[in-house]
Amino acid sequence: MTTTTVTTTTPTAARVVDAVKVYGSGDTSVRALDGVSVDFPVGRFTAIMGPSGSGKSTLMHCAAGLDTLTSGTAHIGDTELSSLDDRRLTLLRRDRVGFVFQSFNLVPTLTVAENITLPLDLAGGKGDPEWVDALIDVVGLRDRLHHRPSELSGGQQQRVAVARAFAGQPDVVFADEPTGNLDSRSGGEVLGLLGRTVRQTARTVVMVTHDPVAAAHADEVVFLADGRLVDRMESPTADKVLDRMKAFEVPS
Amino acid sequence: MNASVRISAASLRAHKRRFAGTFLAVFLGVAFLAGTLVMGDTLRASFDTMFGNATSGTDAVVRSADAITTPGESEGVRAPVATDLVSTIERAPGVAAAAPSIQGAGQLIAKDGDPIGGQGPPTLAGNWISDPKLNPYQLAEGHTPRKSGEVVIDRGTAERGDLKIGDTTTLRTPDPVKVTVVGLATFGGEDGMAQVTFTGMTLADAEKYLTARPGEAASIQVRAGPGVSQQQLVDELTPVLPKGVEAITGQESAQENTDMISSQFLSIFTTFLLVFSGVALLVATFSIHNTFAIVVAQRTRENALLRALGASRRQVTASTLVEATAVAITASLAGLAGGIGIAAGLQALFPAIGFPFPEGDLVISALSMALPLAVGIVVCLGSALLPAVRAGRTAPLAALRETAVDTSGASRTRAVTGLGLGALAIAVTLTGVLVSPSIWLAAGGAVLALVAFVVLGPVASTTAVRVLGGPLDRLRGVTGGLARRNALRSPKRTAATASALMIGVAVVSLFTVFGASLKATMDQTVSRSFAGDVAISTPSFGAGGSGLSPRLADAVQKLPEVDTAVGLGRGVAEVDGKGRALTVTDPVALERTFDLGQIQGSMSSLSTDGIAITENEADKQHLTTGDKARLTFTDGRTQTFTVRAVYGQSELAGDYVITRDAWAPHRTQDADTLVAVSFKGGVSTDDGKAAVEKVAAQYGNPEVQTRDEYAQSAAGGIDMMLTLVYALLALAVLIALLGIANTLTLAIHERTRELGLLRAVGQTRAQLRAMVRWESVLVAAFGTVGGLALGGFLGWVLVEASDGASDSAFAFALPPLQLAVVALVGITAGALAGLRPARRAARLDVLRAIATE
Repeated sequence: MTTTTVTTTTPTAARVVDAVKVYGSGDTSVRALDGVSVDFPVGRFTAIMGPSGSGKSTLMHCAAGLDTLTSGTAHIGDTELSSLDDRRLTLLRRDRVGFVFQSFNLVPTLTVAENITLPLDLAGGKGDPEWVDALIDVVGLRDRLHHRPSELSGGQQQRVAVARAFAGQPDVVFADEPTGNLDSRSGGEVLGLLGRTVRQTARTVVMVTHDPVAAAHADEVVFLADGRLVDRMESPTADKVLDRMKAFEVPS
Repeated sequence: MNASVRISAASLRAHKRRFAGTFLAVFLGVAFLAGTLVMGDTLRASFDTMFGNATSGTDAVVRSADAITTPGESEGVRAPVATDLVSTIERAPGVAAAAPSIQGAGQLIAKDGDPIGGQGPPTLAGNWISDPKLNPYQLAEGHTPRKSGEVVIDRGTAERGDLKIGDTTTLRTPDPVKVTVVGLATFGGEDGMAQVTFTGMTLADAEKYLTARPGEAASIQVRAGPGVSQQQLVDELTPVLPKGVEAITGQESAQENTDMISSQFLSIFTTFLLVFSGVALLVATFSIHNTFAIVVAQRTRENALLRALGASRRQVTASTLVEATAVAITASLAGLAGGIGIAAGLQALFPAIGFPFPEGDLVISALSMALPLAVGIVVCLGSALLPAVRAGRTAPLAALRETAVDTSGASRTRAVTGLGLGALAIAVTLTGVLVSPSIWLAAGGAVLALVAFVVLGPVASTTAVRVLGGPLDRLRGVTGGLARRNALRSPKRTAATASALMIGVAVVSLFTVFGASLKATMDQTVSRSFAGDVAISTPSFGAGGSGLSPRLADAVQKLPEVDTAVGLGRGVAEVDGKGRALTVTDPVALERTFDLGQIQGSMSSLSTDGIAITENEADKQHLTTGDKARLTFTDGRTQTFTVRAVYGQSELAGDYVITRDAWAPHRTQDADTLVAVSFKGGVSTDDGKAAVEKVAAQYGNPEVQTRDEYAQSAAGGIDMMLTLVYALLALAVLIALLGIANTLTLAIHERTRELGLLRAVGQTRAQLRAMVRWESVLVAAFGTVGGLALGGFLGWVLVEASDGASDSAFAFALPPLQLAVVALVGITAGALAGLRPARRAARLDVLRAIATE
């Protein structure tokens, strides 16, 4: 509905406009987001970077409909999130958004296969079985389908989480520090997986990270500091990102 | 120790909610126990006061020394004393006054035509003793009976029957007597003696209707002159009394009356309630144990950290025990207050339902406070002991591990022990039931079975939940599947939670099965041995009711529709030294309306010196036809009877049968308990019944029932008992419900992160709520099914053991409908228990839940 006012070259999977998020009130209030506007175009892998307390996690949570903005708007595709009640937000998360969390967050009672299809099962549908089948090969877990999460390594668990995030063919997948709990080799695998999935299947991924190496896997990096969008970088490399990050440490 | 206390205090403060369930469980159990004890003491004390007040003017009671007691009766039957003794007594030194007291059964008909009372407490009639000090009843309104037909009744009965002074009604003695109420009386300052009804008539009326022959009374009440003590009076009286008559002091007599009420009513009542508080506390034990087990498991890391920092095992164990003690003491103290509240509430409630609970202060003895307090604390600490020891065993390294949830399932040892116990239980029970019938063996087996069930719980829970939850996957999709798996997560926990409900349901089903079996037994008895078409009886229970007029059978016999009408009266006598109930009837007619089985000898030749005995009793007494048996009657006379017939089936007909002529010289107040009628060929039951009803209407209007109706009404008391049992067991189910809710709340707390994730990936609040509720239902279903199985088994044991222990055959019946209702209640309880935890879980904030560590 509001797309007409924003000029975009490619359609956006998710975006926030003038996003403000204030925690608490009065003297103790904290402005976690201070007027951020950013688009996450379809088919792109975007990383959000910034030092601790820059508001990057808050931005992701608000953009994904897990948290609400104090002012400004957040959109998934054409849907404006602030107008949705809890039920619609839940259904939106279920059908159009995927999540990968830092601490895997798999359901321990379900098998790998069941964890992957959990959002589809919750929706009561079968989804696209071919897609799910292909996904299992992409994440390389076909021989582990009937195992429980506790029988998998951290890297394997996170690959299950990635498969689950993509299972419902969502508009956008949000990943919150997906490599934070992994060693560098497993982390690399997960990041490679995210990148491959975006490029091969034209999916959209938004990833929050503080690791320049992880950010280098993205198509573009947006930098946040003190709740504001301060920079964007196309085709990042670890070194370039590291240099940019070092700039934040110089007192501003 | 200080450190332990500090840690426990901090933990209690931080986790108040977790202990709410434990607190409530202990509270309810202790409150029920304390309430029962306080109420028992209060009732006993007030009965003491009441009898003390009522009989304070009676200094001595003269009565027959010997009483004949038949098995199953606490109060013996005494021979009457001659009323002309009164003049002898009055001449004795120290005597101020003496009055005969005639006592018999007399049931008043209420204004609406229904009999008053008769369901338990006695319905008494007697002469109105004119000396107000000797009469336990005090005239409150109106005047004393002056002429025939005038009566004074106690005020409580008047209120129940809506009778006022001036009203005319019928008194069944059992012959219907038209009486006019001319006065209302109180007993010891109360409106009545509990539920006992009393009708006071003139001495002449009482002699006419209540005794077999004039000049006899149940006892003689004596008042002492000034300065003569009760004991002195008795000492003066004893020498002037004839042989076989004794004098006891007024205090002894009052004590006997109180003891009788205590043994007949109060102790049954309080034992009953105590059993239920026992069941409630047993159920509570499981809930409490579970709460502590979970709390300790959740606190593994914390405890491990304490150990790593140098806390000793003892300190960690102690800190958990201190917590348990704090909860136990607060909950038990609150329970005591609650118990006093329950007793006070009942004191207020009883009069409202027509039971005159004497006013006055509650009697709160040290014992009735100390015992529940001790039990509450012991139960709580005992339940927490194992978890506390486990807490102490926490390895310091556990602080570094991630998971804190006890998912250990059923060990092999447990399965083997459980199965061993189960096999032993079955073996012991079967021995006790089938091989060498013994209640104790059977009871031992039942207890073992209970233990086996509890031990096997975790082993069975996995399979049971899988089976019970099987349809859930298909019915409720992923929500149901998740619920099922959550219930499977910690078999021990699931089993412990379900055990509480299992015991509650088991006791309920035990009573249901036993009740149904009793009914089936009655039904079987009637259909097997009652060959008549209709039965006339006064539905009564216990000592109440007044029976049927002995002339009713003759009147019915005269009807053209009737082939045979036979009245069965009841007498008592000592047969070769043992108190026995006799059936007084026309043996020939008896043979025609009852199936007596195989008969040796002849029922028609009893005459006045013959007796018929059941095979069973004949075997026990080593008697056969032609043998002599010595019968001693309540009037002290002994007569030798010849066994003229031995018959196969007793049941309705009783074990000893003598003719009316043989009984007549020894009779007391005459009454039949049952008149059996068979119709001539071609007379329909409806027509015959209508004709009989017309006749019965002239004899106090007793109930006329067809065979089926009679069988059903014979079992009517059982339904009443069951209702009471169910009401009390609701408490146990409530505690079990609290246990399920508590476990679920703790489990949800444990799974915060997982629930957050489910919400994040699109589980709606409704789905989440459904998931928690279904888990609750599954746990409840497991407990319910286990309870039904255990209760059914115990019911069977009880029925078979009763069968073995008594002469009459017991039938075993499983009532499918009632058991289905029990199952439904158990499962519904589960759904209800899940409501609150489900709502709480659904309220979780998604972001915070994910971020929770």
